[in-house]
Amino acid sequence: MQDQARLAELRQKFGREPAAPSEPTAERTPREAQPRFRGLESGHRACQGCGEALAARLVMESAGPDVMVANATGCLEVFTTPWPQSAWRVPWIHSLFENSAAVASGMEAAMKAKGQNTKVLAFGGDGGTYDIGFQALSGMLERYHNILYVCYDNEAYMNTGIQRSSSTPHAATTTTSPAGKERMGKRHLKKDLLSIIAAHHIPYAASASVAYPQDLQRKVRYAMGIDGPTFLVVHSPCPLGWRHASALTIEVARKAVECGLFPLVELERGAVTNIMPIRQVRPVTDYLKLQGRFAHLTRDGDPRAQEERDHLQALADYNINVFGLAGDGDDPVDTSGITTVGRGGPLAGRPQ
Amino acid sequence: MREALEGSQAIARAVSLCKPDVVAAYPITPQTHIVENISKLVAEGDLHTEFVSVESEFSAASVVLGAAAAGARAYTATASQGVLLMAEVLFNIAGMRIPLVMTVANRAVSAPLSIWNDHGDSMAVRDSGWIQLHAADNQEAVDTTIQAFRITQETELPVMVCMDGFILTHTLEVIDLPEQSVIDDFLPAFEFNRRLDPADPKSLGTLVDPGYFAEVRHSHHAAMQKALSVIKDTDSAWETATGRACGGLLTVEGDPGAAVGIVAMGSTVGTLRAGMAHTPEAGPAKLIKLRAFRPFPTQALIEATQGLDHLIVIDRAISPGLGGILGTEIAAILADVPNAPKIHNHALGLGGRDIPETIYADLIEAIKDPDAPLIFDADMAKLAPEDR
Amino acid sequence: MTVLTRGAYAAPGTSLDFKTGNWRSTEKPVHIHAKAPCHAACPAGEDQQAWFAKLQEGHVEEAWRELVSANPLPAATGRVCPHPCETACNRKDVDGALAIHNVERWLGDEAIANGWAYPVEPPADDAPTVAIIGAGPGGLSAAYHCLRQGLKAEIFEALPEAGGLLRSGIPRTRLPREPLNAEIDRLLALPGITLHLQTRLGRDVSLAELKASHAAVLLAPGCQESKHWDVGGAVPSDLHEGLSLLREFMDHGQFPEAHNVVVHGGGNTAVDLCRLMKRAGSEHVTLITASGLPGPDTDPDDLINVVPRELDEALEEGIEIIDHATVNRLIMKGSKVTGVEVVSLKKEPSASGRKRRVSFEGTERVMEADMVIPCIGERVDPDGLNHLLDGSYFWPDSPFGKLEDGVYAIGDARGDRGTVAGAIGDGAKAVEAAAAHIAGRPQPTLDTRAEMASTGLNPVYYALSPRAEPPKVPPEARTFTTEIEGDIGRTAALAEAQRCLSCGNCLACDNCWTLCPDNAVIKTQELASDGSHYLFDLDYCKGCGLCAHECPTGYIQMVPETA
Repeated sequence: MQDQARLAELRQKFGREPAAPSEPTAERTPREAQPRFRGLESGHRACQGCGEALAARLVMESAGPDVMVANATGCLEVFTTPWPQSAWRVPWIHSLFENSAAVASGMEAAMKAKGQNTKVLAFGGDGGTYDIGFQALSGMLERYHNILYVCYDNEAYMNTGIQRSSSTPHAATTTTSPAGKERMGKRHLKKDLLSIIAAHHIPYAASASVAYPQDLQRKVRYAMGIDGPTFLVVHSPCPLGWRHASALTIEVARKAVECGLFPLVELERGAVTNIMPIRQVRPVTDYLKLQGRFAHLTRDGDPRAQEERDHLQALADYNINVFGLAGDGDDPVDTSGITTVGRGGPLAGRPQ
Repeated sequence: MREALEGSQAIARAVSLCKPDVVAAYPITPQTHIVENISKLVAEGDLHTEFVSVESEFSAASVVLGAAAAGARAYTATASQGVLLMAEVLFNIAGMRIPLVMTVANRAVSAPLSIWNDHGDSMAVRDSGWIQLHAADNQEAVDTTIQAFRITQETELPVMVCMDGFILTHTLEVIDLPEQSVIDDFLPAFEFNRRLDPADPKSLGTLVDPGYFAEVRHSHHAAMQKALSVIKDTDSAWETATGRACGGLLTVEGDPGAAVGIVAMGSTVGTLRAGMAHTPEAGPAKLIKLRAFRPFPTQALIEATQGLDHLIVIDRAISPGLGGILGTEIAAILADVPNAPKIHNHALGLGGRDIPETIYADLIEAIKDPDAPLIFDADMAKLAPEDR
Repeated sequence: MTVLTRGAYAAPGTSLDFKTGNWRSTEKPVHIHAKAPCHAACPAGEDQQAWFAKLQEGHVEEAWRELVSANPLPAATGRVCPHPCETACNRKDVDGALAIHNVERWLGDEAIANGWAYPVEPPADDAPTVAIIGAGPGGLSAAYHCLRQGLKAEIFEALPEAGGLLRSGIPRTRLPREPLNAEIDRLLALPGITLHLQTRLGRDVSLAELKASHAAVLLAPGCQESKHWDVGGAVPSDLHEGLSLLREFMDHGQFPEAHNVVVHGGGNTAVDLCRLMKRAGSEHVTLITASGLPGPDTDPDDLINVVPRELDEALEEGIEIIDHATVNRLIMKGSKVTGVEVVSLKKEPSASGRKRRVSFEGTERVMEADMVIPCIGERVDPDGLNHLLDGSYFWPDSPFGKLEDGVYAIGDARGDRGTVAGAIGDGAKAVEAAAAHIAGRPQPTLDTRAEMASTGLNPVYYALSPRAEPPKVPPEARTFTTEIEGDIGRTAALAEAQRCLSCGNCLACDNCWTLCPDNAVIKTQELASDGSHYLFDLDYCKGCGLCAHECPTGYIQMVPETA
């Protein structure tokens, strides 16, 4: 309570933060004094524990402030910009669901034409990336625009109420792939988008997870340094759509990586150049049992549930084999090593 | 400088004179020559622009949207299916009040597939909130294109310059292309104060709840109405600069005392003008060339039709189940005007059907026929009885 | 009225106008500095986490000063304490408890080697003086804490030397004289402490006199008198009682000859004696104890009260231990023992709630023995204290040891104690209460904070690293004088400090700050008012609980909104 009073007092005294990040301020509130760029500000209307809001916040911290964003229609767009408010502190535009890559292409062309260096980012959800915006994305990559495209992958159309997308994992329930007497959730597989992206032979494509923020931010910084198209897909749990407690967002994302269902890999010019090894591979059931969307798979005594669990385990094993994810010893950047903390913050005492 | 140029080539040269920062386009007949010619200018170093060869019209519109939002003078061109594929973006561009210019080389919309001219494509997006200006010939198309860049900048409304596919785009005409210095004086440097700018990071394209959506639409409608005077003033300024005008919102020619008027848009105007000259026995008419279709010059039209007994309205597209589009709109406008002329609405030249000069006499004659068909040049003999 | 912007654009960061904090429905995050289990378990009241934190930052002397703010004798306790802190350490569920006692000992030795001074100021000339009976660990601790409270201390010790049980009851193999002397000398040299040796309560001074002449009296006499022991009335003629046998050996270096020794009891003295006798040449040495040996399911109430590593070393050295048993009968030839009958027993709950011992018929067995040594504990010498004792001990009903106004009991003389660390902690607490009494302040209260259980931590954030193991003299090379457990050294001590999980306390790891989807955790340059480095901006916190779940130490907890 003491802190709240102090915050209120400081706000009263200094008013709200300046309109532009470049605006100088004599004295700053604690919020303004944060040692990071607040590209995505508080007051946005994402659900509690939103993985996408977290992912976008982390991306903005590493990418901003000299960026501009084209944002596809979706939760991120809706919860950040209900007029007259905006949670963004970078130039940002939302046009349509399927055209963020193309709008970004135009922005980038404008920057080139005007001889400016502001980096253009394009954001989309899995619906806007894997599905409806896929063509525009492919065009953007092929034309070699200097754009970082970030896909916030929460594995369904969450904004419209949890409908299946081509990114929805096999056997997950959504409102358009419900489980019932005849069906065990989504019949098809999660699209291997990263391979398709990589086939464009672009400089850099990677997958990241909100459970590994340092890794995610390193990938953003790396992509920001590349003059050309780069792509990042960030696994971003949706507590509402995946049906898990809002406090478990990170836990769920971590288990997805640790079981092999969401491999963290980096591809340069189509070739795998880095992976995050899994120090201790977990069974997929550790991941599935945390989420209501897989509840039908954890029923005892249902042979179909067993078969689908085994199928998902086989898919995870496939990823582990294809990318060589099983670590062969302790590694400071494996799934266990990279999350460790010490007194004084993640970077304390470590070379930057 | 006067040059014999194909319509498309002339448009490319006109666009080039306006020094767009970004051009994005996707090939479609009959617009193709425009972007080919722009590409060539870029390739030869005569035009310094970011030319983005997109993978669809949808992206073409999206790219120019993004480019303009980022503060670039942007241009695209399309036709027919391309317009329809762009449709969602067109509404979006206008709703966000993004300034940019697009040429539509008017062509029929499939199915059936037809690559030839009519106005079905631009009419399909008449409610998108764009300014739509129709050129009657290639000089007008060139002049209107240049004016469009100034209008869009001033109104922050996107401008669509419509020219008849093939009839204009593929026709050689002697064109007077102004000197670069004339253009530079006429067209101020591109400024867009809502542009995406890290120094003043605005958020464009927000979610607006029912509490303000009506106001958004109202402000758009009001902006379109205010654009009427901008269109007119810009044409006047152009006349001052070049000695040549395009007719502002609409022009009236022919016999001022005539009891019959004809309203048309695009190249049809020229055909009717020739028909009127070459078949004096059909009688005189007031020929009204409508240049601004959106915003619609309601007041100017009412004034132009005063004293007429009959008004023939030529459409080059129809709204099946209702009738001609322009005709229906004009009928609505004149409904409350005292002593308004009787409206005779006909569609002509759909899907590239040739419009002969003799059509003028036929149209005048048809005033007497209450059963004259909506699609005036359709031949019922070509239809099975049950399809007539 | 908000005026529409053209094209409905919005200004940056204006979402701050929308306070999402009112979305929180039931719970909000708070910083709760729960007690670390090591601290909760430490009888001396040490805050291990605090001195480990200093070590993590590389500040060794500061770490020692933090340590001796509770316990002035770390070089001694680091050697002799059964370290319940390590038993409680949450890291045992990850990759092994921290080697707290080794680091404590290393810090104590560093302080001696470097001559570091205690963080105390001399008391004022007119400061009240507290009388302390006994210069054992409890009395010494009390004297030290008197100075920390601004009081003077006057110690009355019956023996010719200070140190109490540390000196007389613990073999040098566990506690060499050098560090012990160094710590006691350093403490006694503090201005404001006066020591009267060979001054016995009841003979040289009386409690009544002391009460009259001093602001308070602290009783830390320890337990000197052997308890009576017999088995069914039988007592061998050559009976040697455990503690006195050990003292005799430490003074003269000799044990009476015996081949088959049975030690009956269950404390450190019993184990020390077993090991020394075995080393002195007895072929078979057997410890018979009613308690249980350490195991995963051992009830703490049932666990043998011996330093765990001492027990391991004893087994290593060939001591046999019969647990959950007692001596049922002595088999005598004349007045000499030739064997013992052993019977299994267990402590069982009783209707009254206290444990009762139940022996099991049919489990009797006989073993050869030519010496039986009872090690069943000692009692307070009642001289001059009779009216305050309840049976053999003091049983104060206050955790601060208060027996009557201005009189406090400390250490082994209390019936509910039994460790050096307990005596040291009693010293601090009794002085705290006495100081309040003298100053007329309200009596102190205990720290009632909840303890952080390992289930409240998020262990994924800790890098695994094995516990440091100190060097040890191998069993065959052990003597009567050389210390068995060695020094872990600076490198290992500092590395061990890095293993501290910081249970219930803020590591300033940035997890909450990094992972809040709502940017509602504000990092502060200085310490926040609650001692962390972060503030919760409840105007925007939606109460998702993510920060609490991902807090490695359990420092962030979700509490009902109304709390």
